[in-house]
Amino acid sequence: MKLAVALILALFFWWPCIAQDNYDADLIPATLRNRANAVIRNEETSVNMLTPNNVLYTVKQAITILNKNGEDNARLVLFYDKNTTIKGISGEIYNEVGKLVGKFNESAFKDESAVNDFSLFEDNRVKHYLPNINVYPYTIVYNYTMRYKQNLIIPTWRPKPANDVSVEKSSYAFICKPTDQLRIKAQQISNKAEEQVNEKQKTLKWSVSNLISQKSEPYGPDKESYQTSIKIAPEQFTYYNYKGNYTNWQELGKWYYDNLLKGRDVLPTSTVETIQTLIKDIPTDKEKAKKIYEYLQTKTRYISVQIGIGGFQPFTAAEVDRLGYGDCKALVNYMQSLLNAVGIESYYCVVQAGSEKKSLDPTYASMDQGNHIILCLPLKGDTTWLECTSQKIPFGFLGDFTDDRYVLACTPEGGKLLRTPKLTTANNLQVRQAELMVNPQGNINGTVKTIFSGAQYDNHEQMIGKPLLEQEKLLKAVYPIDNINFDKIDYSQKKDINPELSETLILNIRNYGVVNNDKLFLPLNPFNIQRTIPEVKNRAMPVYINRGYTDIDQISYLLPDNFTGIIEPYEKVLSCEYGTYTATAKLDGKKLIYNRKIVLNEGTFPAESYASYSKFMADVNAADHQKLVLNLKK
Amino acid sequence: MKRILSLIAFCILSFSVLAQDFSFGNLNQSDHQFNKNTLDSNANAMVLKEFGKSTIEINESTGKPELHFEYHVRIKIFNKDGFRYSNIVIPSYKDDNNVETITVVKASTFNFDHGVFIETALDKKSVFTENRSKYTLLTKFTLPNIKEGSIIEYIYHLQSPNLFNFKQWDFQSDIPKVYSEYQVNIPAMYNYNVSLRGAYKLSDQKTELFKECLRIAGSVVDCSKITYTMKDIPAFIEEDYMTAASNFKSAIYFELSDVQYLNGGRQNITKTWKDVDYELTTAKNLGSQMKRKDVFKDILPTVLKNTTDDLSKAKAIYNYLKKQIKWNNYYGKFSEENIKNVVEMRSGNVADINLSLIAALSAANLDAEAVILSTRDNGIVNKLYPVMSDFNYIVAKVNIGDKSYLLDATEPLLPFGLLPLRCINDQGRVINLKKPSYWIDLKAEQKNVTNYILFGTLTPDGKIKGTITTYTLGYAALNRRKEIKKYNSVDEFVEKLDEQMPKLSIVKHEILNIDSVENTLTEKYDVEFTVFDGKVLEQIYFNPFFINRIAKNPFNLNERTYPVDLGAASDERINISIVLPEKYELLEKPKDMAIALPQNGGRYLLQTNLSEDKLTVSQILQFSNAIYPAEDYLTLKEFYSRIIQNQKKDLLLKKIK
Repeated sequence: MKLAVALILALFFWWPCIAQDNYDADLIPATLRNRANAVIRNEETSVNMLTPNNVLYTVKQAITILNKNGEDNARLVLFYDKNTTIKGISGEIYNEVGKLVGKFNESAFKDESAVNDFSLFEDNRVKHYLPNINVYPYTIVYNYTMRYKQNLIIPTWRPKPANDVSVEKSSYAFICKPTDQLRIKAQQISNKAEEQVNEKQKTLKWSVSNLISQKSEPYGPDKESYQTSIKIAPEQFTYYNYKGNYTNWQELGKWYYDNLLKGRDVLPTSTVETIQTLIKDIPTDKEKAKKIYEYLQTKTRYISVQIGIGGFQPFTAAEVDRLGYGDCKALVNYMQSLLNAVGIESYYCVVQAGSEKKSLDPTYASMDQGNHIILCLPLKGDTTWLECTSQKIPFGFLGDFTDDRYVLACTPEGGKLLRTPKLTTANNLQVRQAELMVNPQGNINGTVKTIFSGAQYDNHEQMIGKPLLEQEKLLKAVYPIDNINFDKIDYSQKKDINPELSETLILNIRNYGVVNNDKLFLPLNPFNIQRTIPEVKNRAMPVYINRGYTDIDQISYLLPDNFTGIIEPYEKVLSCEYGTYTATAKLDGKKLIYNRKIVLNEGTFPAESYASYSKFMADVNAADHQKLVLNLKK
Repeated sequence: MKRILSLIAFCILSFSVLAQDFSFGNLNQSDHQFNKNTLDSNANAMVLKEFGKSTIEINESTGKPELHFEYHVRIKIFNKDGFRYSNIVIPSYKDDNNVETITVVKASTFNFDHGVFIETALDKKSVFTENRSKYTLLTKFTLPNIKEGSIIEYIYHLQSPNLFNFKQWDFQSDIPKVYSEYQVNIPAMYNYNVSLRGAYKLSDQKTELFKECLRIAGSVVDCSKITYTMKDIPAFIEEDYMTAASNFKSAIYFELSDVQYLNGGRQNITKTWKDVDYELTTAKNLGSQMKRKDVFKDILPTVLKNTTDDLSKAKAIYNYLKKQIKWNNYYGKFSEENIKNVVEMRSGNVADINLSLIAALSAANLDAEAVILSTRDNGIVNKLYPVMSDFNYIVAKVNIGDKSYLLDATEPLLPFGLLPLRCINDQGRVINLKKPSYWIDLKAEQKNVTNYILFGTLTPDGKIKGTITTYTLGYAALNRRKEIKKYNSVDEFVEKLDEQMPKLSIVKHEILNIDSVENTLTEKYDVEFTVFDGKVLEQIYFNPFFINRIAKNPFNLNERTYPVDLGAASDERINISIVLPEKYELLEKPKDMAIALPQNGGRYLLQTNLSEDKLTVSQILQFSNAIYPAEDYLTLKEFYSRIIQNQKKDLLLKKIK
């Protein structure tokens, strides 16, 4: 009761003049309406850390939905589980002029399990609500409180939820005991926190106003890298039945290892013996590890299982050994245990996986970064990385799912940030060689051999081992050429740290070239036409190219016997800071040789340069459509 | 496709081999060596055997009859892509009164090792129940130790209070099956309508008398025991341009027709249309709502202001309700709310909205009826007798003079008389408050019409400057309007459109009739784009198919099993007219062509002309049917291929000196 009084007093102190809010949509300044589908009129978020295992998260939000496209911003979605309870939800709906037209509470919400695809997940659930209103604008006001039985993960405050939303004003208050130690990471916010401390509590408060909506732009940097946000991590924490403290990655990694990983590596004696026999005659640790990895790949498969300590603790190695499946944590822990059994050291590493590269933040340690686990083998300087959830991927290759980013290795000595290897523009290769015969009707047939490596290997790995019919269907989507027919399809995989996939196709394409009167129109580039990218007028954001690549095509056309005349050599060279492109064609006896090479660079480029990127791609697209006109003997 | 197997109890006594479940885990060398190529060399996994058995039993605690279903399957997994068939998800239904229960009896993986099968049993603790949503529970488990070549086997038991649909049996699934057998035991008091769907025939069907199978309140009842068997069933693989998979998948369906009580009473469950008509027209959530003219009494004079004839009245009411009530994205043939509340709350499901529409039309003294139907993703309805559970949607039909119009007020961007594409599915049943019901064809009332007209001038540096005008009607217009409405303003839409085409720039634009959906959507763009680099030479080659060039063949596969369903007939015309900078002669051009699909199924016309300094290219591409049989697939493919080939050809112009 005392606490409640204190709370009310505190609130009173901070927001001394809350009058009845006026939600008349006309009061929204014009600058906030431009390109906006919704405007947050006022949002007050507070986190009240009463004790480490009793944290109240309260949000009051008033958002005006300007049109149908903004409707989704009216949806309230609350995830909950054993550790997170919804304490109460209430809300009101106001019409255009700000008149109250309806109220709702928790009973209006739909309740569903929050599970995607096949996951043996237990208790993660979601409640969501979207009002049925089709007269715009309208304003919806939500009040809700969530209770967390932990303070290891405090939600990040991000006042601007989407590009198409403007924010009139929004504030964030963090309330804790005066003695609580916090680490705070503030991004893109000019004002420092207002701090208020008394004997009972300390309050930190941030506020922003007039954040304007933006147009969505392609090839932009990761939103999280530039948006306003406040992240808070208390030094002392409680999580399920664990207590701990950390101020950096070293300490967090230590806690992780000691509490969630240690002792979960015990294997049945029979498995240890199997492994020892398996590697008995192998000389080096690296080759041993490779053999064990292959054992892992035949023995196990990936199944998502998110049970236990917030989904952070792996199944024991013995469990995986018995079941033959596990999620990324369990499979990495199992592989680590197998390696332990023969004395090879390895690290359990937390990574933010995904094709878009995202590092763990070196300047700010927290438990909510990372969504996947991989294994790192130091091997005395010959660092080797393993992705343990795929049965197809070669030993030592991570692919574009986890390349080139900081990950947290959780070791008995503590956490260490390590960087995974980079797949470079020069190594993300696609090299194609085709020998094609052109007949007088324009039909072509021949062999096309393509080798994919680096990140491009990843794009095609799924083809391996698929039944022929499925491969054929997929290939028709990869090479969407009218009348393409595959007489033979063959894939071979070089299972190596630098893997290669070679695709050999014997194919024919009826009427690839077309005959008009006594001329044959022959498009030079059948298999690799660069798509254009959109233009963006008045580009605001820098341009970010996540990963570069290099494509090389060499196609030799054996021309029909009745072809006459000469062909002028063709050459097209394009280049800008984003990349280079060369395409040439020349005649060599009866053979027409077409060469094409494109290199696309990765990196961050200034916003103004986007026009040259768009033009480059458009020019490449035009050049890729180059046709040759051949005269035929009548 | 559909056959009715009338179930006559007690008639056929057969004492052939009794159908029974195969024994769990009884595997031998032949299961290990099983060669998938005999059935399907492309399979990732295959059902070796499958047995199901349904009975009706009396629940001892409630005294009520309930369905017991036992399912037993043996699957062989051939490769890594087949591993997913060892992840099992069994959905079951629940609501406030009824819960279906699933019990996993047994599940194991068998791996062949050194001449014997090693069994790894599923740990019962590893079976999870997910409370998916209000009405759905999912029972999930995954089998342990899966390898290429593993055989998995599991048995589960389902107990359900829902007798109405008995338990359907899917002979066909996305993996092939070597042997599938289903045994049903139906007590003599229950009479079910049974229908077999799909292309494949039963290999065998046996009916036996099963004496004293059920004891109810001291009396014994006999059952008819029917066994359906199908062998060597190919996998069901979905194709593009097809309607609901359930229309084509081989499966057996049941619907309770009547119950004969021990006391001699009889309850008809599935009825004749006559009974259904009575029920629907008096139902609180259907017929009664159609009659609620009172709801609209006060508002009608305002809505009907400025209307003269019946058609304009109907249109006014339709337009009013489209704007007034928001669809909550739920289907349904029954209203959730009474329509008075619907109109007040301005929101409802399909039935809420369209029943309101019918009531409002009737209130204006128009002749309005209801049409119940099944949406495309829900499959085709049974036409032989009323199967109410087949229907999931309701629309309005208004009859004016000798014409009638089908109306659905859930999509504000649809014009009067055009149903959304989801409703274009064979036939629907017209429910009239006074007359008997009847079938009506559900066809798209308008073709998809798109017309592009380009007037332009070729500049000496290889650019075309001109105006593109586009006219769209039917679903083409609906989709285009939806596209435009994704943006907050026409300017934003055009900005995006312009950005999507880096080679073309839009200088000026005008879009008409975005909101007046009865009229042709008209877009006018002043554009500039480059057709060739550099200066106009003595001879120039260029490709005149700038607009909607067909680069990919939509029908690029080598075979087709199911009909190609395009939804609606279509008509696309492209007319290009370009003024050249100087006098040219046309040395070469893509051949003028006129090709057609058999039986007037469609046609393509192309004509190119140069007269004076004006170059014209006109194309027509028409599909006159909404649905083409699977046999026509290769013809369609070739039809497109010929268009694509011709569009690869360039024009050759030569300057006249």
